[in-house]
Amino acid sequence: MDAFASKHFRGVTRRDLLKASLAAGAVVSAEPLLTPRRLHAQGKRGGILRVRGYDPPHFDPHQTLNFKTNNTLSFVHNKLVRHKVGVAPGTFTVEPDLAERWEELDDTTVVFYLRRGVRWHNKPPVNGRELTAEDVKFTFDRFLTEPANPLKFMLDPVDRVEVVDRYTVRFRLKEPFVWLVNMLANPTGTWIVAREVVDKYGDLKKPESAIGTGPFTLERYDPNVKTVFRRNPTYYRAGEPWVDGVDWLVMEDAAAGLAAYRTGQIDCGNWHGWTVRQQDLASLKKSQAQLVYRDWLSNVTQGIYMRTDKPPFNDVRVRRAISHAIDRQAIIESVWVKGEATPAIGRGLTEWSPRVDQLGPGATYYRYDPKEARRLLAEAGFPNGLKTQITATPGYGIDIVDAVQMVQRQLKESGIDAELKLQEYGAYIGTTFLGKYEGLAMGPFSIAWEPHTALYGMYTPEQPRNSSHVADARIVSMLKEQMRTKDLEARRKIIFDIQRYAADQQYYVYLYSVGATGSWRPYVKNYSPNSSFDYGNRSAALWLDR
Amino acid sequence: MRKYVLRRLLVASASLAIASLAVFSLPRLIPGDAVQLMLDERAYGKDLEDLRAKLGLDQPIYLQYFEWLGRVVRGQLGESLWTRRPVIDELARRLPVSLELGLMALCFSISIALPVGIVAAVRQDSFADYVTRSLAILGLSVPGFWIATLAVLLPAIWWGWSPPIQFTEFSVDPWAHVSQFVLPAVILGVASAAAIMRLTRAMLLDVLRQDYVRTAWAKGVSERCVVLKHSLKNALIPVVTVLGIQVAQILGGTVIFETIFGLPGMGRFLFDAINQRDYPVIQGINLLIVSVVVVMNLTVDAFYAYLDPRIRY
Repeated sequence: MDAFASKHFRGVTRRDLLKASLAAGAVVSAEPLLTPRRLHAQGKRGGILRVRGYDPPHFDPHQTLNFKTNNTLSFVHNKLVRHKVGVAPGTFTVEPDLAERWEELDDTTVVFYLRRGVRWHNKPPVNGRELTAEDVKFTFDRFLTEPANPLKFMLDPVDRVEVVDRYTVRFRLKEPFVWLVNMLANPTGTWIVAREVVDKYGDLKKPESAIGTGPFTLERYDPNVKTVFRRNPTYYRAGEPWVDGVDWLVMEDAAAGLAAYRTGQIDCGNWHGWTVRQQDLASLKKSQAQLVYRDWLSNVTQGIYMRTDKPPFNDVRVRRAISHAIDRQAIIESVWVKGEATPAIGRGLTEWSPRVDQLGPGATYYRYDPKEARRLLAEAGFPNGLKTQITATPGYGIDIVDAVQMVQRQLKESGIDAELKLQEYGAYIGTTFLGKYEGLAMGPFSIAWEPHTALYGMYTPEQPRNSSHVADARIVSMLKEQMRTKDLEARRKIIFDIQRYAADQQYYVYLYSVGATGSWRPYVKNYSPNSSFDYGNRSAALWLDR
Repeated sequence: MRKYVLRRLLVASASLAIASLAVFSLPRLIPGDAVQLMLDERAYGKDLEDLRAKLGLDQPIYLQYFEWLGRVVRGQLGESLWTRRPVIDELARRLPVSLELGLMALCFSISIALPVGIVAAVRQDSFADYVTRSLAILGLSVPGFWIATLAVLLPAIWWGWSPPIQFTEFSVDPWAHVSQFVLPAVILGVASAAAIMRLTRAMLLDVLRQDYVRTAWAKGVSERCVVLKHSLKNALIPVVTVLGIQVAQILGGTVIFETIFGLPGMGRFLFDAINQRDYPVIQGINLLIVSVVVVMNLTVDAFYAYLDPRIRY
């Protein structure tokens, strides 16, 4: 062997073997990062989860705020952060999702560090490529600039989103905003989307454009029938999803849905949130005691909103009269069976929601008092009462319609003759819910995963979610203050003060938060219900043991 | 017979042409604020001009009609504003479901109503007659959706069984596909059966009183022959007319049953399209229903000629 060969080809030494074995060890220990499919020790693979689902008006998260779209998108998309799964209902702890960690550099700068190796679904036009910071920037640029996006208020303080490097994104804020991370965790509108998909389809309304990085892929959408989701084999969370897929079944008829649940055709409760209607609960428990049941108080606020920018509802006496006219307890008992009168934040979010008796002077207006209602109306210049209209939608279910009719009757007893107008859900969400209506409207109008969303959009002038057209500088000032207040207790005090002031002014006549009972079949394991649109993550964590 | 059929075909063609004008005119009669409402509620277009262009409202009316007619003849009914899919594809998926439900309901109602009506007429004022007439009144007066709801819920409570809520296509499981239609078809057919039974009884009673029938009795012809051979055909003419009308009613009125039993038919789609202000779909379904009604009437007219060779108008 010549000198060159002897220098470069000296055979395999012990050092070479040691290096090789160390390298091999490094590869083996990196295996979960490269191929994250090691099965959870407890989970059981297989089966199709059959559950009640919805027909979304469309699939674009930046052109709506309706729950049907966001529920459906939760299966195929991720967010930067998410609400923890496997917690008690009413708990909304934020944990990493696509971002593995984040850092607040100063009061107006937050940096998110993305997980590496997260892949888009293996469908054109993304074809399974890796998620990068550019995708996040594109998503939030679209979120902030899409003219039809009614959720922009959630990220109002965001000035811009910048790409630092391939896996790092920086949020620059116009002002301090303590709720930024919570906003990004809310399962509505902040799903990360891909530019190529928007370029290909023009928007994200078509079902074919529901392409994400989430635990499931959307295989098929049959309007009026079902949406079929199947496991994403390249999902980044090890082991998940356990089920092979989800059949998201459209069930508009309550009786048929209940019959389907009773007879095992679906795996979880047939009502919204995979619950069972309270009216059906006693009979179901009696005949199907083997099913699993879990109770909680909803974090959804139901109430009446009105055109406070116009007569007669620009007069606080008229608004207070409406509140006095409503017998909240009677409606709870007749329609919902369980529930509690609520302030601005739904009672289910107990750490941010004071009881009605803690609302100070505003608590007075929660008292059912038709006589006082009439007196207030007369004082406001309506001694003979007034005529108006009240808009609602049956899209949330039959109970809402029953409740509206009770409200209508109670208002009439106090001298307010409100003509009922029922609107189809999509039309309601596109118009009435965003303030385009006359007179009064009623329905669930805020869901509180944290207090900011339930207050800011609804009280800030010019925001689409300001359904009552409120223009009150004092409340805006308090909202701005709580957005900047880092200290939790100080912030809570401000939030409580806002709710006390809201109760006094009655821009929104808050009615109640209702009781909910989640139910599922015993073979559905590791499932934790919650009042959240994030069905996808909850479905990914559960497994079927049958 | 051939001339008669050709004449009926000509009349049917004229009916279809007039119907197409009516269907075409439908969205053109929409007031401007309704188009604005579609934009506000659904964001079907970027702005008002864009949406009017999508609805074809931006050109001279005669051009719009001929362009639209040309597309219809080629099977292009436009695109659904809601699902963004071709209307013809949506109808192709849903029409078979509605037709299957409707035809099964009709078969059920005819197979029950005709024999029962005949027995009730022949055994007039007997116990059987009173029972069948009472049941017919019940069938006409009890709402079908109430029966359907009970039919879904009560077996689930009593026996742990309910009809399937997931629609199964024929190609996936033929037996499951057919069996999911049985219960809704029976319930849907009940009201139709009641009406046909009463009409059959009334018409047959009328015919049985005719002189020629009395002559047949006098000649000693058997009851079976008098009723089935000599009387029934004449009694069936108005019954066939009503059957033709009921086909159209069933096609357009199955929305409640489709909702309760989870069947993706045209009724439910039309209902959703109206709610969604999806005018291309509403137009397409209207055109389809009109075409089916015209064809049904043509079939009924041809059947008249078979039942009574004297009919040749």
